Amino acid sequence: MTALLAICNGLGLLNGALLAVGRWIGAICLGLMVVVILAQVFFRYVVQSALPWPEEASRFLMMWSTGLMAPTAFRRGGFVAIDMVIRLLPRLVATGLSILLMGVTILVLWIALGIGWSEVTGIGGRFETDSLRVPVSLDLSVWMKVPKSWMMASMLVGVALLLLVAVELALRNLYALTRGPQGLREIPDIVVLGSGAE
Amino acid sequence: MLSFFLPLFLVFLMLGLPVVFGLLAAPAILLWLNGQERDIVLLYRNVYEGMNSFPLMAIPFFMLAGELMNRGGISARIVGFAQAMVGHFRGGLAQVNVVDSMLFAGISGSAVADVSALGSIIIPQMEKKGYPKPFAAAITAASAIIGPIIPPSGIMIIYAYVMGESVAALFLAGIVPGVLIGIALMITIKLMADRYNLPQAQPRATWGDAARAGGAAFWPLMTPIILMGGILSGVFTPTEAAAVAVGYSFFISIFVLRTLTWRDIPGVLTRAGITSSVVMLLVGAAMAFKTVAALAHTPELLASTLLSITENPLLLLLLVNLLLFVVGMFLDAGPAIIILGPILGPIFASLGVDPVHFAVVMVVNLTVGLLTPPMGLVLFATSAVSGLRVETIARAVMPFLLVEFLVILLITYIPAISLTLPRLVGFVD
Repeated sequence: MTALLAICNGLGLLNGALLAVGRWIGAICLGLMVVVILAQVFFRYVVQSALPWPEEASRFLMMWSTGLMAPTAFRRGGFVAIDMVIRLLPRLVATGLSILLMGVTILVLWIALGIGWSEVTGIGGRFETDSLRVPVSLDLSVWMKVPKSWMMASMLVGVALLLLVAVELALRNLYALTRGPQGLREIPDIVVLGSGAE
Repeated sequence: MLSFFLPLFLVFLMLGLPVVFGLLAAPAILLWLNGQERDIVLLYRNVYEGMNSFPLMAIPFFMLAGELMNRGGISARIVGFAQAMVGHFRGGLAQVNVVDSMLFAGISGSAVADVSALGSIIIPQMEKKGYPKPFAAAITAASAIIGPIIPPSGIMIIYAYVMGESVAALFLAGIVPGVLIGIALMITIKLMADRYNLPQAQPRATWGDAARAGGAAFWPLMTPIILMGGILSGVFTPTEAAAVAVGYSFFISIFVLRTLTWRDIPGVLTRAGITSSVVMLLVGAAMAFKTVAALAHTPELLASTLLSITENPLLLLLLVNLLLFVVGMFLDAGPAIIILGPILGPIFASLGVDPVHFAVVMVVNLTVGLLTPPMGLVLFATSAVSGLRVETIARAVMPFLLVEFLVILLITYIPAISLTLPRLVGFVD
């Protein structure tokens, strides 16, 4: 049990650190999305010369923002679920059901991880995006088109982080089933207000 | 076999599996049992393609704009303006509560944001003036649901995207129903004020006071005008309008009102990003779910079941309203729309119900569902703001809930309420 507690808390530290980095990058992506779309509006209506890349660039940023920030919401209980049955059950049965449901979640994410990997490394990922380019020389004289795999990797990374979180939550429940929550590091609660489009 | 994905999904949902995983697990398991393992890859691709959409980007932008406005402290200005307008009515502060929700709806588009931003100001004020606290909390909750009905509205963007409708048409269609709910609540308050002897109103604001309150609220109140004006004049797409709303909220909060500092920005971006990532993932999963629903002919199967009960569209609309009301008790509006829209929308379209009208019926009904226990997000938010128990607010909100249900029936059976504005602008035939 001590080993399980150490694994839970170790995985918690790892996830905490990874997700903190994810939140920072995700927040920057969200800010950049606004700048990119405002640039699109400015160039189209003020300069009268539409830019070719803002739409695809903002979608690229949105996908990464989603992939990097959704795992934080999951870890802090922000994914929408009906927890009425679980709350009505005795604690031990509820924890057991939570572990079972987490097992289904892990299975879904594990399959998604395999598919995501083959999508990113497969033929679809080798195609290029329509308008996105990055410099590949220091003097900015040579540019390459961004491969689609860079964008598709957003979902793969998101699934991988979700899987890590799901494993952590399942192990925490497993530990809590036998010993209760004593010794487990606390996960910060998500702020309930504003937890969806409502 | 594939048609069993819906019952399986419901079992997962009732047991407590997060909606997003249930939307994927149920069809994936049945595809696997059906020997269609290869199609599971299509589920993954549908989620990816479902999220990778330019129109959908309006959701994080509107959330960000709402977050900026909330943190930027505009709520007090809105309350001040509403007070100058209707504070002298009988039941004055309760009337103010409804009017500020209607004004705030044009800025944030979220009922929960409305409760958290306005409730924390108006509930203590009402209590101080002698209103019973449960009454103050109840009217705050009941009026907050106008948020996602009057544009902009996150829920309407989700519906428009999942069902392939025009965002602008839905935004326009929500204006009159939202105002109608507000007026119905104000009439109810007037009746209750006389009957229950609610506190006397404050004196009528002088022209000078009204002008000052209007001036203080001027910049925030320009947001809906810029948004809807930009969209309807064709200058912006809804997504661009949402980005402009973010830029505008940022500019006035930092430079004009000076209520927000640069230090607040990372927190604002993080909160909006986390919240919108949940919605984006849900919408992506819903697009995969929708594909499986179509493959399994679910809408057709449900349509034939519904039509076997009655073929009268008016009766079917009543039945669907009851279904939505019950669903709203257990599920938040966004996920409910994502799950039920693709199933119910085609059925009523085939019965001749205008898709925009049906969208408004769904959105209004499920938004009112945010007030119903056991899963009433707005009740939870109001409880957090007021410090009252959810059960206490749920009891106090009953008269307002009844009025809102009557308005839903009006919206259901008089399509002109929602369709006149989009028709005038040419979005609906």
